Amino acid sequence: MAMTLDGSASVTINSGAVLGITSGTAVASTSGTSIDFTSIPSWVKRITVMLSGVSTSGTSNYLVQIGAGSVTTSGYVAGSQSGATYVSSTAGFILVNNITAADLFSGIVVLTNITSNTWVSSSNINRGGSAVLPAAGNIALGGTLDRVRLTATNGTDTFDAGSVNIMYEG
Amino acid sequence: MTHRIVVNVETGVTTQVEYTAEEQAVHDAAVAAQVAEAQALADAQALADAQALAESQATQQQTNEPT
Repeated sequence: MAMTLDGSASVTINSGAVLGITSGTAVASTSGTSIDFTSIPSWVKRITVMLSGVSTSGTSNYLVQIGAGSVTTSGYVAGSQSGATYVSSTAGFILVNNITAADLFSGIVVLTNITSNTWVSSSNINRGGSAVLPAAGNIALGGTLDRVRLTATNGTDTFDAGSVNIMYEG
Repeated sequence: MTHRIVVNVETGVTTQVEYTAEEQAVHDAAVAAQVAEAQALADAQALADAQALAESQATQQQTNEPT
């Protein structure tokens, strides 16, 4: 017997998880020192952060930070490769390094819940058509993830181009 | 004032959250420190360039002196 699921208002399972992928709201990354996606549901096991033509005013490397209740700014084991240059970070999942203010970055960052509150990240970001920069890392949060932040390492550079969004799934 | 962008994925609402006075003070201090560091690097480079030029000119003068 055939069964039809009407997903027009999404379909949930017992844990409250929404089946399929849920898209957030794309936001223009044209101002501000950080872009936060908050109130991420507790059942989420994978988050995809998408960058399209993102730029900042300075040369500080980009970070994705996650958190439980507040953004976690330490304890990451992460690194980014640019040619022969490897840059590590404990302040966040570093995405790119060796950048200029004119660079435009596009690509995705995949955050996956490996167990409990431990998350691993992997990303490939294109730097203005000149190189693709790989990065990866992990962190154990103190609680259930509920937010993701995109920012610069120095915390003061401001976004001036592009757009950012996330997708999440259980 | 400096601000951050906050997207609540539950409601879909995007807001621009202004820094508090305390956050703004921390931000301004960080920017001032970055400017000071950049200036110190520029000054050090200018001094090194001037010393190199002076040494080069001294060497050139010694070379040009009649024996």
